[in-house]
Parts: sequence; structure tokens; C-alpha cells
Amino acid sequence: MSADFIQLLVGGVLLGGIYGLAAFGLSITFGVLNVLNLAHGEFLMLGALLSYGLFAALGINPFVAAVVVIPVFMVLGVGFYVILLKKISDKPPHQLLTASILVTLGASLFIEDVTSYFWDRPVTGISYSLPPLELAGVVISSTRLLILLFIFILAFAMQIYLRRTYVGKSIRAITQSREGAKVVGIPISRISAVAFSIGMALAASAGAFYVTLFTVTPTMGIPLTIKYLCVVVLGGLGSIVGSVLGGLILGVAETMTAYYCGAEWAPTIAFILLILILVVRPEGLFGAKK
Amino acid sequence: MNRRGKRLPFFLIVLCAGILAALPFVGVSYGIVWIFLLAVYFVLALSYDIVGGYMGYMNLGHSTFFGLGAYTAAITLNQGFHLASALVVAVLLTACFAAMVSYPLFRLRGAYFALATFGLISLVEVLTINLRDLTGGSGGISTPPGNHMVTAYYLILVVAGATMALSHFIARSKFGLALFSIREDEEVAQAFGVPTSLYKGLALIISSVPASLAGGIYVWNMTYISPPSVFGLEIALSPIVMAMLGGTGTMAGPLVGAIFITMVQEFLWTKVPYFHLAMYGLVLILLGLFLPGGLVRTRWIKPIVGWMGFGEEIDYFKKSETGKMGETP
Repeated sequence: MSADFIQLLVGGVLLGGIYGLAAFGLSITFGVLNVLNLAHGEFLMLGALLSYGLFAALGINPFVAAVVVIPVFMVLGVGFYVILLKKISDKPPHQLLTASILVTLGASLFIEDVTSYFWDRPVTGISYSLPPLELAGVVISSTRLLILLFIFILAFAMQIYLRRTYVGKSIRAITQSREGAKVVGIPISRISAVAFSIGMALAASAGAFYVTLFTVTPTMGIPLTIKYLCVVVLGGLGSIVGSVLGGLILGVAETMTAYYCGAEWAPTIAFILLILILVVRPEGLFGAKK
Repeated sequence: MNRRGKRLPFFLIVLCAGILAALPFVGVSYGIVWIFLLAVYFVLALSYDIVGGYMGYMNLGHSTFFGLGAYTAAITLNQGFHLASALVVAVLLTACFAAMVSYPLFRLRGAYFALATFGLISLVEVLTINLRDLTGGSGGISTPPGNHMVTAYYLILVVAGATMALSHFIARSKFGLALFSIREDEEVAQAFGVPTSLYKGLALIISSVPASLAGGIYVWNMTYISPPSVFGLEIALSPIVMAMLGGTGTMAGPLVGAIFITMVQEFLWTKVPYFHLAMYGLVLILLGLFLPGGLVRTRWIKPIVGWMGFGEEIDYFKKSETGKMGETP
């Protein structure tokens, strides 16, 4: 039992790391732009497809691919921001909300439909693995451990970037007070573009790991975005520690549910967790009390 | 409003109702099916607008109520009950469900609320697929067969009329005013003594009633539903796109939007077999970028709608443009 349990725990933690990484991207864009990007899950899907394509065509291993997709999706992110979001970002709150939901949901449906037209069969993971690691009777896939390590390094680098650099500090300043940031002369529009591209790159690199472990289908974007929402609410907005921990909780809960209650119940757990956290502690585990 | 502004819409409504009621006797059966589906979407769009337009909370999961109503009615009909009792059960159960989810969901605001309600659809869909003994699982459920087309047609028209009346009276009541104030600024509304939590829950429950009725009548007429057919993206998004395209917060908006979208589906989508969802996506993007106020607020249609007497809420977007800015929702 205990060996099973530990295996499950490792699997859950890994899934949670992927969720946390992508969810932090969502939380950073929401903090800066005040726009909840409903197309966020689609970018994980696209990142996964790109890294699968790199692996299938050129034999590039997923760790290198994760690094390669980051600049590609940063450029895409800036493009997405300039074309779709820049125009609506100065509207008053209620209109911004309506317009942003329409635009991002529309983009998400568009990407999903076009992708599923060209990808008629689901992409079934990259067959890339390293020799497994045996530790006190428990066999752990070393690929998974490496991915986990990679995710934590990326999260750590993100944390340093946000604390130490000028752009990172500006991002945090805008998240705290948009008006205040404007007053001290932070170029809101430019920083928004950077924040959006970072969020997108995080989602895409999470996708590169996702495809090594799970099946990727074109329709998985919107359910994934809902899981990110759950993670962001669970962890509290704008905190990378909260996002990663929220992701871990969701990942472990999902894996456990799938094992003990049957795989068909796994999709419900994210929503049940969301409702629970909203009833018990609406500001999230690490969010500041309002 | 002057006298003509009051008498003209009444006259128009009576005229439309007369034409619609006479249609089955003329014998255009395809037209009846078409109008039946149009009316289902219209009821969904109009009842969505009570929460989405009047109160300003985008409830992307409105079709949950439709699907839940349809499934409840189907299960009750299969137990041998009459349609009327099946509809009553469907409405009661859906309203209870709405009351139950309103407590946690209304702790969220803005985009979070929208996404969480969107997730609600997939939650209920997964539940329907998993509770195989009750709902027939992914294979769907069929009700006792029979040709109910004409009766169902009249029933849905009555429901559509009742929903229009409901929406009309809510917009003019103190309750409706409270909903508008919640949309404009929830904190201020609360400070002025509007019981916001209670009213938000009430609005969700009220908007769930027409949707579940439409679901019940739909399944009675179609005699077969499956999880994708009532919880799918198409039925979730169409009413919202209709309400948004027409213009939220007005009664004419959902009507204009519903007619427009159904016509587009009829003429364009039957010719192009692919990319229906992508086209919806494009329509959504264009709406968000260029036309957040909807068709009824454009320069050409606004005077017509105003002349017919449906125009009271139309100037809202203009007002909020000059209103206060900068506060986060």
C-alpha cells in the first residue's frame, strides 16, 4: 500500500507542479492586466503540440524543447496582447470585464477549433524516458523527478526575476496599485505586454512537460483553464508560492481521486475543491485578507 | 414616454403573437421547427440577461439550468408522469440547484465568476455521465415517443411570452433597480442598503426558471437527449452570444441577437461544414473589440428600437463611459 501511495504522491506532485507553473502565468496576467485570460489553457495545449512536433520531427528532448518554446511563446504573447487586448485595456471596469471575456473566450474557441481541424487524432505523449530510479523499494521515474526539478528551478527563477529586476518590480507594482504605478511613471502598456508574454511562456513550457506524461487533445484547453482558476483561487492571487502549493494540492487530490474512486471522477475534484475553498476561505490559502 | 411609445409596442407584440399562433394552421412545418428552436434559444438568451445584463454578472454556465431541467423532465416523464408535473419537478429541482450554487459562486466576482460558472457546466455534465443508472450515462436518455410538435410549439411560445413579461416587469421593479445598482457598483449599492447577497441569489434563481422550462419542453418534443446535446459548447454559448450581439440589459437585444444568429446559422453554416466553433470565436472577438454594447446600441438600429418603445436601458453604455474609472472590479 505504502509503495502505491508514494508512487501516487509523486505523480500527483508532478502534475501539481505543471498546474502550478501554468496557473502562475494566469495569475500574473490577471494581476497586471485585470483580464482573466480564458485562452490560457489553449497555450499550454499549443506549447505541448510544439514540443511534441520538435520531438517527432527533430528528436529534440522535452527539456530542451521547454526552453525553446519559451521565446516563441513570448513573441506570440506580445502579438496576442497588441492585437486583441491593448485596445480594450483602457475601458471602464464593467466594459473591460465583458470585452475581455468575449475576446479571450473567442480566441480560445478559435484556437481550439482550428487546431482540432488540423490535428484529427490526439497526440499520445512523447516516448522519452530515462532509466528509473529505485529508492528504498519504491521505483520512481527519473524523468518525472527531473521535470519536477526543472519546474522548481523555473519557479525560483521567476521569483528572483519578480523581486530583483526593474521589470519584475514594475509588474508587482501594477498588481498592487495600477493608479499608483501610473503616477510614478511605470509604462503600463509595455509592462502589460511583458507580463502577458511571461504568462504565456510559462503556460507553454508547462505544456512541454505535460506532453511527456499525458495525452494532449485540442479540446483540453477550457477544462484546463478551469483547473488553473481553481489553483489560483486556492493559492491566492499573485503569489508564486501560493500557485505552486495550490497546484500541488490539486494535483495530488486529482491523482488520489482517480486511483481510489475511479478515473471518471477525477474531473470533478477541481470544482469541488474550488467550492470548498470559496466557502471556507474565499481569499485563498496565501492571499491577503481584504 | 409619450402615448404612441406605449401603444406601438403593444400593437406590435399582439401582431407578432397572432402571426406566430396562426402558423401551424397555414402548415409550414419546417418553419415551425425553426421557430421552436429559435424560441428555445431566445428564452435562454433572455433569462441569461437577467443575471448577465441586468446584474452584470456574466453567467457563462446558464445552460446548466437548461440541461438540468431537460434531464429532470426526461426522468420524470419516464416514470409515467404527465408533462405538467414533469415541468414542475424540473423547475423546482433546478431552482433548488441554483439556490445551492449561488452561495459559493457569488463569493466570486467578475471574470472569476464567469469562469467558475463555465466550469459548472462540465461538472454537471460529468455527473450526468457518471450517474449511469439515473441518467443513462453517455448514451443519453429517451422519453416516451410521440409527435408533440404543435403543442410544444405553442408551449414554448407561451414560455417565451412569459419570460418577456417577466423581464419587462423586473426591469421596472424595485428589485430590478437593485440589480442595476449592483451592476454599476456593488459596494455603493450595499452601502445604500441593497441586500446584495439575497438579491444576487434571487436573480440567479429567477433566471433559472425559464431555462429549465425550456429544457423540459425541449426534451418532451425531441424525445432524446444526450450529455453533449444539452451541456455542449454550442448550447452554452449561443444564448450568450445572442444576448451580447443584440445588446445586454435590454429586452430588444436578445430578440435581435437570436434572430440574427439563427439566420446566420441557417444560411451560412449549412453551406460551410467546418469551423463553426471558430466562427463563434471570431464573432465573440469582434464583439468584444468593436461592439461591446451590442447591435441595438449602434447608430442605425438604436433609433428604431427607441421609436418602438423598447429603448429605456439603451443609453447605459454611454453613461458609464463618462462615469468614474480606474477602480478594479
